[in-house]
Amino acid sequence: MPLARSLSVTSLSGLEDWEEDFDLEDAVLFEIAWEVANKVGGIYTVIQTKARLTCEEWGDNYFLVGPYMESSVRTQVELIEPCNPALRRTIDKMNASGCKVYFGRWLIEGSPYVVLIDVGFTAWSLDRWKSELWENFSIGVPWFDREANDAVLFGFLTAWLLGEFAAQCDSPPHIVAHFHEWLAGLGLVLCRQRQLPVATIFTTHATLLGRYLCAGNVDFYNNLAEFNVDKEAGDRQIYHRYCLERAAARCAHVFTTVSKITAIEAEHLLKRKPDVVTPNGLNVKKFSAMHEFQNLHAQSKARIQEFIRGHFYGNLDFNLDKSVFFFIAGRYEFSNKGADLFLEALARLNYLLRVNHSEVTVIAFFIMPARTNNFNVETLKGQAVRKQLWDTAQTVKERFGKKLYESLLIGQLPDVSKMLDKEDFTIIKRAIFATQRQCQPPICTHNMLEDSSDPILTCIRRIGLFNSSSDRVKVIFHPEFLSSTSPLLPMDYEEFVRGCHLGVFPSYYEPWGYTPAECTVMGIPSVSTNLSGFGCFMEEHIADPSAYGIYILDRRYRGVDESCNQLTSFLFQFCQQSRRQRIIQRNRTERLSDLLDWRYLGRYYISARHMALAKAFPDTYCYELQDPTSGFRYPRPASVPPSPAHSLHSSPHHSEAEDDDEEERYDEDLEAEKDRLNIRQPYSSTYRLQNSLCVDSVCVCVRFSIPDMTLVRPNQFSY
Amino acid sequence: IQILPLSFLSAADQAFVTLATTEDYCMGALVMGKSLRRHGTTRKIVVLISSSVSPEARHSLERVFDEVVQVDVMDSMDRTHLSWLGRPELGVTLTKLQCWMLIKYKKCVFLDADTLVLQNVDDLFEREELSAAPDAGWPDCFNSGVFVFRPSLHTHSRLLAHAAHYGCFDGGDQGLLNSFFKDWAVKDISKHLPFVYNLSSIQSKFGHQAKIVHFLGAVKPWHLRYDQSNKDSYLDQFLNMWWAEYRSQMPPISGEVDGNQDSGDMLHVSMKPSRHLNAQMRWVRSWLECISSSNNPSENMTMLPSAGYGTLVKFVIFLFYLRSIIKQHFIYMFVFTLSQINTETAEESLHHRRMWEKGHVDYMGKDSFENIKKKLDIFLD
Repeated sequence: MPLARSLSVTSLSGLEDWEEDFDLEDAVLFEIAWEVANKVGGIYTVIQTKARLTCEEWGDNYFLVGPYMESSVRTQVELIEPCNPALRRTIDKMNASGCKVYFGRWLIEGSPYVVLIDVGFTAWSLDRWKSELWENFSIGVPWFDREANDAVLFGFLTAWLLGEFAAQCDSPPHIVAHFHEWLAGLGLVLCRQRQLPVATIFTTHATLLGRYLCAGNVDFYNNLAEFNVDKEAGDRQIYHRYCLERAAARCAHVFTTVSKITAIEAEHLLKRKPDVVTPNGLNVKKFSAMHEFQNLHAQSKARIQEFIRGHFYGNLDFNLDKSVFFFIAGRYEFSNKGADLFLEALARLNYLLRVNHSEVTVIAFFIMPARTNNFNVETLKGQAVRKQLWDTAQTVKERFGKKLYESLLIGQLPDVSKMLDKEDFTIIKRAIFATQRQCQPPICTHNMLEDSSDPILTCIRRIGLFNSSSDRVKVIFHPEFLSSTSPLLPMDYEEFVRGCHLGVFPSYYEPWGYTPAECTVMGIPSVSTNLSGFGCFMEEHIADPSAYGIYILDRRYRGVDESCNQLTSFLFQFCQQSRRQRIIQRNRTERLSDLLDWRYLGRYYISARHMALAKAFPDTYCYELQDPTSGFRYPRPASVPPSPAHSLHSSPHHSEAEDDDEEERYDEDLEAEKDRLNIRQPYSSTYRLQNSLCVDSVCVCVRFSIPDMTLVRPNQFSY
Repeated sequence: IQILPLSFLSAADQAFVTLATTEDYCMGALVMGKSLRRHGTTRKIVVLISSSVSPEARHSLERVFDEVVQVDVMDSMDRTHLSWLGRPELGVTLTKLQCWMLIKYKKCVFLDADTLVLQNVDDLFEREELSAAPDAGWPDCFNSGVFVFRPSLHTHSRLLAHAAHYGCFDGGDQGLLNSFFKDWAVKDISKHLPFVYNLSSIQSKFGHQAKIVHFLGAVKPWHLRYDQSNKDSYLDQFLNMWWAEYRSQMPPISGEVDGNQDSGDMLHVSMKPSRHLNAQMRWVRSWLECISSSNNPSENMTMLPSAGYGTLVKFVIFLFYLRSIIKQHFIYMFVFTLSQINTETAEESLHHRRMWEKGHVDYMGKDSFENIKKKLDIFLD
């Protein structure tokens, strides 16, 4: 689902209309991944959200290739006859030789065409294909590794599909095949080995070995260059998978990763420097109303406050209006996701707030699914007590209202002392007594199965954050995904994020990091690290990230204790902001949305495809890079007229209404000007297309933006 | 006065039987046999092995079993059917049928090599042919991992005829036995063994009553690492019991294997270097004969054990032309050194591949990625 944002604030200087003249008339794009129409992990989100943009670019020449999984096909795919005649012949021929290949439309935004291959149906060829794999590449696959066996089948089937398609085309086609992750990687290696006319791209979203090493609490980044990769992979019994991944990276025309940090990881673990970094984007939906996200924040915040009232019943000795909500969310990987650092920083923040006699209360939510057996009675009781108090207040109000009405009918001034009679007081007193509580408000909302060994709970016990009334930092651990049907906190994840003040994601290993990106699009500030793809990307594109609510923690060049102090100072700094300052910060955060939109980030993919075409078909395509320039300051040329969206919100009425009564001004025009100075404009480069069919003189120049020149040096690609 | 069961008196003509066709399954059989001994069985223990089992493994089996019988491997010749099941190794389990030929015993209990005995199960001999426990996945069929039978040449030939005539519905022995003893499900409830005699899905409630555990599925205990810290589930406990049994008073099989090896693969005797070298010598010899007898070098291409040695071929052809110039002797030496670096015979290649498929990869030596990279670079250039 696209995340909504407001229409008004578009001031990113690099987002002018982009002339797309790279001639793709006779080119065909296949995008191949195990997670096409098959949700396993994060790659699904990447492909699903990107599809719309790619469809717009390639139209009917874009095909996603994935495995056929009956359950997801039934709910997500409409099976149809293949539209492309060459592809129809290909599929018919494959089906006639003992495969099961389906064609359809994937019912997501952009409704792209999908080719789905039933991998299990051709399992009878597994042994033959494994021998071929062995003979050509000396890679064997253990028969008990089911996933790797699927990768072999999928790889051979996709290579067969591409080869057959190339053979069925009337004129020699220009095929681009984009493979994601190691599970699809073998197809790429086979394409190269069979010398198919295919331009290949390989994208890793994380390296296999990196994931394993980080999970094993290794000092990963400091030893990156020293690992004996063969040994590490072999010791972890993933050598065959690692070989497939590394072979794909070696054979690809263009190799890409999702972030700069993963690029460094790939360079050391897969021994190839990525040619392009292709960050992951989001589909940003625009609201029609101004600053709608601020209203949504207020609504969601009110609902979280209600939950807090129930959760802390009997101990509500803090001012809810002066509370800020922090949260961390994601898969339950205690140290990889940085929950350890966050807890330690919270303990330090608690101390700082107490010694400074701060009025601010911090409530930190941990949304990380763990093994539980349902809600804990005490938390459910809290919500029930709150509901009961609400009902009591409503009853007394009814009776009060009736008496008032009667006295008005008689024409007398009401006697205030008689408005509440004895019975009312009894009800009220009873309700107040019901809220007494002997214990402290619970930390965990559920009954944990491994309560005594759970890392978060163990850590909380050690640092002593027990939600006592003297603590300025309270902790709530919700070990389950949020759902709008939950009896406890009936909100879905998006609503919850909107209601919080700050997302904290101090991850140690995070190839991209969708969570902080989602926060940004919703206008919620976040903390990330320079070890996460998102943090690297923002650091590179914004001059002063923390002014925009993007706090980037240095975990790469500092020790744990230093990083923890830095995080504590970020949190403390955030707590000291006034409400007004927080609102302005949210506005600024939200202005960064465009930077994360696929409309912008999709260009990195486009550049990867062009680069691959130019490498595979040097006679037809040509690719050139202009000299990259550096620095953040890229004033917008005066000749460029403001975009319509921009002019809409800069109307004088609006800024008066918003800012008159406040001391600190927030002026959209001024902010836009600041953005132009602070947000980095992507580089420009020129791509030239040489059509070999035409005479040499026909050269079409394309203005093309490619950022991140640290990875691509111009002299490398002189085609 | 309690009357002793008849079976107790005739213990000498009763036996537990198992089957091991590969080295891996020998490990399993060894553990199964030792676990039977540990729980004090009064019956004989017999293992059927195929001719492919190495002498070392056979020797260690002889220390535990009363009798080691070599049998022929029968394959169901139904490869497509079996690979459809995803268990290409299952075919050899049809060899199991040969247990009916052990006519020197009156009654036997068959136990798969991937089972582990946790209590004395001699009471199984009170049951009749064919008693077995229901299959966990398909309770109307019995699981052929544990069953009681009476050896008989007549039954054996009928089983073979049945197999030839009807085939079997899953390509393995379980389908065949179930279709042969098809009235098992309905006829006589006393032939239904309790599930604790062939426990495959572990319920913690009945876990402590288990008598025989059956490690079903493609991953066997010998594929997994021994990890004493795994004490979470019953399954892990059984796994650790398996390894504890494997390691208990294990006499060293041969001098060259280190008894303290962590992976515990004592039976995986590494390929002897002498054999390796001999095979290479054979190959080189045939090669050289070919070169000297033929005048057209391109004919020699077909002699290559496998594709992908293009560069080597070119180089050898080049040497062939040099032959007339330089002394023949010198070239032979050159070719010999080359072949030592680059080639393996088809047989060795298959063995090498099988090692990968078992998860034993020489990733620090000949299987390092550098060597794989060389293969990739052949077509990347």
